[in-house]
Amino acid sequence: MNVVPTLPRPLLERLLRLLRWRVWIQEKLQPTEWQITLLWAALAGFLGAMVSLLFTVLTEGIHKFLTGYDSGVVETMRMLPWWARILVPAAGGLLAGLTLLLGKRITRGESSTDYMEAIVIGSGQLPVRPSLVKSTAALFSIGSGGSIGREGPMVQLAAVIASMVGRWRKFSPPQLRLLVACGASAGIASAYNAPIAGSFFVAEIILGTIAMESLGPLVVSAVVAALTVRVLTDAQQLYRVPAFQLNSPWEMLPYVVLGLIAGTMAPWFLRSLRKAERWFVATSLPLVARLVLGGIIVGNIAIFVPEVCGNGYSVVVGILNGRVAWELLLLILAAKWLATASSFGSGAPGGVFTPTLFMGASVGYLFGTAVHTVWPGGAVDPQAFALVGMGAFLSAATYAPVMAVILLFEMTLSYDIILPLMLCAVIGYYTAKGLEGQSLYSQALKRKAAEVPAPVLPTGCARDLMKSNPPVVAATAPFAEIARMFLGVRVNNIYVIGPDRRFLGAVSLHDIKPYLGDPDLAGLVIASDIVRDDFPHIGPEESLQDTLGAFLGRNIERLPIVDPDDGKLLGSLAKNDLLLALIETTKSTKT
Amino acid sequence: MDCVNSWCAGLFQARRALRYPPAVEPPTELIAKPAVILLDLNVTSREAALRALHAPLSRTPGVLDAERFLRDLQERVWLSSVCIAPEVALPHARTLSVERIVLGVARLAVPGVAFDGEHPHVRLMFMIGTPKQSVEDYLRVVASISRLLKTDGVHAALLAAPDEAAFRAILSRGATA
Repeated sequence: MNVVPTLPRPLLERLLRLLRWRVWIQEKLQPTEWQITLLWAALAGFLGAMVSLLFTVLTEGIHKFLTGYDSGVVETMRMLPWWARILVPAAGGLLAGLTLLLGKRITRGESSTDYMEAIVIGSGQLPVRPSLVKSTAALFSIGSGGSIGREGPMVQLAAVIASMVGRWRKFSPPQLRLLVACGASAGIASAYNAPIAGSFFVAEIILGTIAMESLGPLVVSAVVAALTVRVLTDAQQLYRVPAFQLNSPWEMLPYVVLGLIAGTMAPWFLRSLRKAERWFVATSLPLVARLVLGGIIVGNIAIFVPEVCGNGYSVVVGILNGRVAWELLLLILAAKWLATASSFGSGAPGGVFTPTLFMGASVGYLFGTAVHTVWPGGAVDPQAFALVGMGAFLSAATYAPVMAVILLFEMTLSYDIILPLMLCAVIGYYTAKGLEGQSLYSQALKRKAAEVPAPVLPTGCARDLMKSNPPVVAATAPFAEIARMFLGVRVNNIYVIGPDRRFLGAVSLHDIKPYLGDPDLAGLVIASDIVRDDFPHIGPEESLQDTLGAFLGRNIERLPIVDPDDGKLLGSLAKNDLLLALIETTKSTKT
Repeated sequence: MDCVNSWCAGLFQARRALRYPPAVEPPTELIAKPAVILLDLNVTSREAALRALHAPLSRTPGVLDAERFLRDLQERVWLSSVCIAPEVALPHARTLSVERIVLGVARLAVPGVAFDGEHPHVRLMFMIGTPKQSVEDYLRVVASISRLLKTDGVHAALLAAPDEAAFRAILSRGATA
C-alpha cells in the first residue's frame, strides 16, 4: 500500500499536455516579472484614461447643471448676468464644502492621501472613499468656474484606481507604489494628451529617477492612456498654435531674460497661493464658509473679467494665437492671479498646474510685447515668447525642466521653438531653485512627510519585502500535483516542504521540462525524487544587499525565506521587488 | 522542384526545432551494461525481491553505504508506486549512499511478486541508485528505462530471454536503438 494516490492516466496526460504548452509559451515568449509589470501598467493606463474621461464628462455635466450652458467656462461666464457670475462660483463652493463635510462621515477617519504622498512616502495604498469625496467636491468647484485646474483630481483618480488594482492583486509595497505612479502617469497623459510628459512628470517629480525599471512601466501606462483617450474622443494636441521659429540668434538674449523673469515670478506665484491659504485659514471660518467666500471672490472678479474662471485654457489659446491685446492681458493676469489665490486658498479641491501654464503664457507674452516695442528684431513674434514663458514658468514652479520642455512640445507640437524653450526652462529652474527651496509639489510632500512618523521604505532586510504563502508542495506530492501547480502559478520553481513546513528544496520546471511528454515517468515520480535540496534560500533578517548577492549568478526570480532556527519556510522574496526597493532606498539616501 | 524540396526541408527543420519537449541523450552505456543482472529470482514478496537485488548491487563500485541505500529504496517504495507497467517496477532512490548512478536488473520467477494493489505480478525489476545532487541524471535514467520498455517487443523479449547473455543483448540492442 502506497501513501501517495495515483491519478487516472488520461487526466495525467491532459495535465502534462497543458504543462507542455505553458512551458512552450513561456520559453518562446519568455515573459519576465518586468514584462508582466508592463501588462499591469497598461491596465492602469487604460483604467486611468477611463476615469479621467469620466471626470471630464461629469465636470461638464455639473457645469451645465449649475449654469444652464454647455459651452466653455469663460464663454458661459460672459453670457451670465452679473449676479449669476457671483452666485454660480459661490454655489459651487457651497456644494464642494458640503460634499467634503458629509464625506467626513463616510470616510470614517480615513485620511485623504495624496497620490504623490502614497508613492513617495507611503505604501502605495490610496484610500478610495476620501479620494472619491475629494474628487466629487472638485467636480463642483471646477464645474462652477473656480479658478483652478482639473488635472489634479484626474490624476488622483487615475492613481486611486491603479492602487485598487494593485491591492486586488496583492502587490508588494514597491510594486504597488510603481503601479500608483503608472496611474498618475496615465492621468497626466489623459489630461493633456501628452504621454511623454505624463511619464516624465512622474519620473522626474515624484520618483526622482528615470531608471528603466520604473520609466518603462510609466511609459507603457501613459501610451495606453493617451491611446484610449484618442480612440474614445477626438483629442488632438491641446494647444493649436501657429508655427513659431527662432528668427535670429539675437532673440536668445531676450529669452534668457524671460527665463530669469519666469524663474523669479514662479516662486512669487507659489508663495502667494500659500499666503492666500493661510489668510483663509486665519479667518477661522468653517470650511464650507471658506469655500463659499472663495467662490464669491472669484465671482466678483468675473463680473469684470470673466476670463479668470476655469483653468485659463481658453485664454492661453487666445494668447498663443495673438487674439488677446496686451493691455487686456495685463488686467487678466492680475485678476487671474487673485482669483487662483482665492480658489486655491479657500481650499477648493483642484490642481494649479494649468493655472501655472496660464501665468507663464501671460508673463511671456507681455515680456515679448515689451521687447518687440523697443527692439523689434529681438522679439519678432511675442506669441513665441508666450509659449516659451509657459515652459519656463512650469519648469520653475515644478522643478522639472525636462518634463516642462516635453509637455510644451507635446501640447503644441511646435518643435521649431525648442531651443529657446530648453534654455528658458533650465534658466527658470535654476533661478527658482536659487530663490526658493521648494517647488509646487515638494511643499506638500515635505509637509506630509513630516506628519508621517515612519516611512514605509524598506529598512533593509528581506522580511520587509517578503510575500507569505508562496506555492509549495509536499515531499510526497505526485508529479500530477506538481504539474497542476506549475499550471496554476507563474513560477519556475515550486518549493517542497516537509510535514512540519520545513523547507526541503525546490522542484524546478527546468528539470522536468524534457520529460513532459512521458506520462509513464510522470506516474512514477514524486516531489522528493526531483527536489533540489541545494536550492538557495535566505533568512528573514538578511540585508537587501546580501539578498541581492544571493540572486547573482542564478537564473531565479524568487528566493525562499527560511527561518534559520527551525528551518521552516516563511515566505519568498521576488527579485523585481528587491530591485525596486533598492532603487527607492538609493534615491532616498541621495535626497 | 528544388524550391519545393528546400521548402519542405525548411519546414521539417522548423518542426524539429519547435518539437517539444527537446530530446535528451539517453544513458546508453549504463542501460546496456547494468552492474548486476539476476534472472528468474525466486522470491515471494516485494521486500525479498528488493533485498535479493540490492545485495549484489550494493557490492558494486559506486555504492558507499549499502544499508542506507537499502533503507532509502524501501522508503521510496513505501512512499509511492514505483511501477511503470503491470509487470515492471523501478525501485529507485536519489541517495547520498551512492557516488554515481548504479543500475541492477532482476527477472522474477513466475508468477512474480506483488508490489502494490495495482501491480500484483511484477516480473521485471530495475533497481536504480542516483547521487543526491543529480536530478537531471536521475530523470534521464528513469525516463530511458521507461522508454526502453515501451519499445516494441523489448518487454516480452526480456521476459523470454533464455540466459543472461541473451538478456544483456536485448538490453544492449534496446538501449542503442
